[in-house]
Formats: sequence, C-alpha cells, structure tokens
Amino acid sequence: MSLLEAQREQTRARYPDEEGYVERDGMRVFYEVYGDGEPTVFLPPPWAIVHSRIWKMQIPNFARHFRVVVYDGRGNGKSDRPDSAEAYGEREQAADAFAVLDATGTEQAVVVGFSWGGQWSLILAAEHPERVTALCFLGAGPGLSREPFPYEEYPFDEELGIDEGWAKENRYYWLRDWPGYVDWFFSQCFTEPHSTKQIEDAVGWGLETDPETMLLTEGSPVLEPAEVRDLCARLTCPVLVVHGSEDAIVPYAEAVALADATGGRLVTFGGSGHCPQVRDPVRFNLLLRDFVESVA
Amino acid sequence: MSLLEAQREQTRARYPDDEGYVERDGVRVFYEVYGSGEPTVFLLPTWSIIHSRHWKMQIPYLARHFRVLTFDGRGNGKADRPSGVAPYTEREFAEDSLAVMEATETETAVVVGLSCGTLWGALLAADHPERVLGAVFIGPAVPLAAGHPERNVHSFEERLDTDEGWAKYNRHYWLEHYEEFLEYFFGRIFSEPHSTKQIEDCVGWGLEMAPETLIDCHLALELCGLERFRDVCARVRCPVLVLHGDEDGLHPPARGAALAEATGGTLVTLEGSGHCPHVRDPVKVNVLIREFVESLEKRTPWSS
Repeated sequence: MSLLEAQREQTRARYPDEEGYVERDGMRVFYEVYGDGEPTVFLPPPWAIVHSRIWKMQIPNFARHFRVVVYDGRGNGKSDRPDSAEAYGEREQAADAFAVLDATGTEQAVVVGFSWGGQWSLILAAEHPERVTALCFLGAGPGLSREPFPYEEYPFDEELGIDEGWAKENRYYWLRDWPGYVDWFFSQCFTEPHSTKQIEDAVGWGLETDPETMLLTEGSPVLEPAEVRDLCARLTCPVLVVHGSEDAIVPYAEAVALADATGGRLVTFGGSGHCPQVRDPVRFNLLLRDFVESVA
Repeated sequence: MSLLEAQREQTRARYPDDEGYVERDGVRVFYEVYGSGEPTVFLLPTWSIIHSRHWKMQIPYLARHFRVLTFDGRGNGKADRPSGVAPYTEREFAEDSLAVMEATETETAVVVGLSCGTLWGALLAADHPERVLGAVFIGPAVPLAAGHPERNVHSFEERLDTDEGWAKYNRHYWLEHYEEFLEYFFGRIFSEPHSTKQIEDCVGWGLEMAPETLIDCHLALELCGLERFRDVCARVRCPVLVLHGDEDGLHPPARGAALAEATGGTLVTLEGSGHCPHVRDPVKVNVLIREFVESLEKRTPWSS
C-alpha cells in the first residue's frame, strides 16, 4: 500500500485476520480473510470501479458468525492492473475467484455475486459445484432480460459532443473527465436519499483506478446470453436473488429473469438502488445470514 | 394526533410504554415514558423549533438501561401553542417539566437539556435540588460567554435589506420565508458532513409549528439575562456534565466551558461536532450520558 493509499484508508470496524496475494499468469490479486466461523462467505468484487471495501458493511457482521473472504478485483485496490482487455474477461475473473478460494484454503463457500460479479460467481458455481454451497445474486444482470440497460443509451466509442447524463458512459468522456464520470455513476448507484457518505466513499474508490484501466474492462470478453442460460441451468446449489426496486444501473427485470433461469428465490428491496448491501446493510445482512444458515 | 401528523410520523425504533398530557394554566404538554429501569433520565424540551423526536437516537438506547421520560414543550409537537411571549419564558418550561415529573410519578431524575433546554434544566435543578440527581447539558445556549459575532450583526425586529447568512434570523424573514429559514438554521446546526437526513428531520419538525409561535419563543428567551442566569447556576448543587461540540456554529464552546465552571461541572469537548452531537454522534453521546448516570448511582447508596 502506498503512503497515499495508507492515508486515504479510513479506520475499519474490523481488520483482517489474514491477508495476502495470489498470483495467476503473473497477475497478483490481493485477498483478506476475517473470522474463523463456518461456513465461509465469499464476497467477490464487482466491476473494477470499486474494490473490496464495497463490502465494508458486511464484513464485521458476517465475521461474527461465519468466516469471510474478500479480494480486490484486478484493476483496482491492491491488485494488479493488467494491460489487456482479455485479462479482464469474465472467465479470467472467475479464475481469480477460484484461485482466491484455493489460496485461502477455502474448500467450500456461500458466494455473493454483486453486479458484474454475478457473472464470475455464476461461472464459479456452475463449473465448480463442489466448492459453492449456495449462491446469492445481488443487483446482478447477466443479460437475460430484454430490458435495455440505462448506460447503453449512447454509443460508447463515438465522440458524442454532449456529456449530459448517460452520455458520460463514453470512451472520450472517461479520458477527458474520469472524476466527472465517477461522480455521475455513483449518483446513479445510490438513488436513495441521504446517500452522501456512500457516494463519497465509492467515488474515492473509483479514483483509485484510472480511465485507461477501465477502458480495458469495457472491452473485455463477456458471456453470451446462451452461455449464461446454460450456466444457470447447470446450477445445483440453492440460489437467492436480491435486487433493489429502484436499481438505476441494472434493470429489475434482470433479477426476475435470473430467478426464473436459476429457480432461485427473488427478494425485492423496495426503494433500494443498485447497492442494497451498502444502503440497507442491516436488512441485507440479516437476509443473507438466514440464507447461509438455511443451507448450512 | 391528527391524520396528517400520523402520516408524517416515521416508524420508531421503540414506542412509548406510557404517554399522556399535563395541563398547567390551560396549556397542555404531551409526555412519553419508555422503559422501567432506574433511575429516570428526563430528556427536556429545547427551543420549540423542534419537539421531543430530536431525542430519537437516545430514547431506545437509554430505555434499555434506565427509565426515560420526555415531553413536547409548549409550542410544538403534540403540545399546545399559546400565543404571546409570557408563556414561553424559561420559568414556564421549568414548571412544565416539574408538572410532567409529578404526572408520571417521577420522584427524582437525571435531567438532560439541549441548547436553551439548559436554561430550564438549570432552573429546575436550582429550585428543586431534591428532584434532580444530576444534569447533562448539551451545546448550552447560555449567556455566560459571548456568542458568535456573526449572529450579532442584524436586527431581529427590523426589516433588513439583506437575507444573507444570519440576516435570516429575522422576524420578517421568518414570516415570509419560514422554510428557507429552517433550512439555513439547521444547515448551520449540522455542520458535519453527511447530515442530510438529520437536516430533513429537523426541518420537518420545524414546520409543525408556525413562525408566529417561534417569534414568541425567541422573544421570551431574550428576557433571560446574564445576571439572572448566573444566579441560577450558583444554586445548582447536583453533579453536572457539559457536552459541547468544538465546531458548534450556534453557540461557541466557550459557553459550555463557562457553564461547567459556573456549576462546578465537568466539560467534555466533542471534536468535530456541531450544535447537536447527540443527533450526529449518538453513540458517543449515549455512552457519555450512560456513564454519567451510572456514576451518580454509585454516589447514592439509597438508590441501590
């Protein structure tokens, strides 16, 4: 951790009991382990615009009941920032998740796939069913619904001449004003009133990476809908799907489609935006604890 | 409670075990009792711009350890709103407080006052030493030290040609732009970052009263002079704890320090806090109140 990062890091309610790096193809990923209960709750990162601190409202609570493993995804936090789009692909991300399970000696875990992390968690659970005892999708949208995503409103690769609203989801705008994009993006993540603290936190994490790295994630290989459907059909573990009714990043229809494709139980957080675990942590933590205990 | 009030009221972490009205000289105030522990912690009303819900972060916690008593002071909440200046002096609030203790069969209590709640809290403690075990004063609005100079620039009564900053603390501005005044006022109170919820709550409570009533309350407090209050402080015999935020934009920390000195109390300065640390830093303030209350129990063997 650089001096700047060390200064920026806030005090934590709980510090890791163990931390380390796992290396794959020369790329290092940083993980943390909290507590020693049973089972392990594994919280992979979402898109690299944030890192593992996005789980800060879960870690201290879950670690009192279970064992918790988190890691910074490639591209942010204390993990490396590979310089090719391929390196940020969904299968690479899933391989990181698997490597962290191995490195931490985690034989089995309950996995929470948040946002884009839903895809790598899905791959992990479908292809390694012996390692994943239950899967919770949270604000996830692997593209099973016909609903358009708000950020797809404008072409990403063309100079637009405007930068209002989702026109900021654009290669040239990112390079021109990354902080401006980060502000906008998190204003859309946290649509609930009184979210200034959560926005400030997330903006800080978004500024720990850079637009060049984030452009690589944008062009990275993703699963086709048919592959997603196939992976969903292969799931054998219990599935919980949690989604905010006011999610302005991933349409609610995605959660309905995901619950349908996996046979999972859908729980709607009325009034919540894209990050219910951040803005309604008590409710989410209790729900997840019930889910974990029900499959234990 | 009217239908409108019932709709506006948010869900609570804890609901009162007992509630009721006390009438004095035709004016009714509304009280609530929570829990049944010992001793009673009596959360006094402050300036009527807000009502007893400003204690919402204290009530559920303190009620797990003690018995909690609170009431809506005259002028807001479910209390009556008499007109004129005379019903809103510190003596009237102190008498209401005593009447609430009588009505709830509260023999003794630790009183907690915020801002100008200090004026009647201290008066109650001075006049009824046998009823007040100890007193906690938060961000005390007391005349014992100079106020912020910027609050002393503009006339309250005269029509001003500006509404910048504290010029909003003005009779005419209140009557014509009451909500804007509330937003400004509570913006100054909650100087801590990420206070949007707290500001929204307080503005909502402020809108439950009319600016005409707030003008009466303001003028009544103007009558409490330095000499009169100094005499009250000298008569306070119980242990006193003063909490003051070092960023208090309404009443400078020097006022808290002067109150602690005048009452022989202990001063705790809360770093980074504004005028309402009990709202923005409830954990810290709750623990301080609890420790103070428990230290009193140890002093008085008869309360076992």
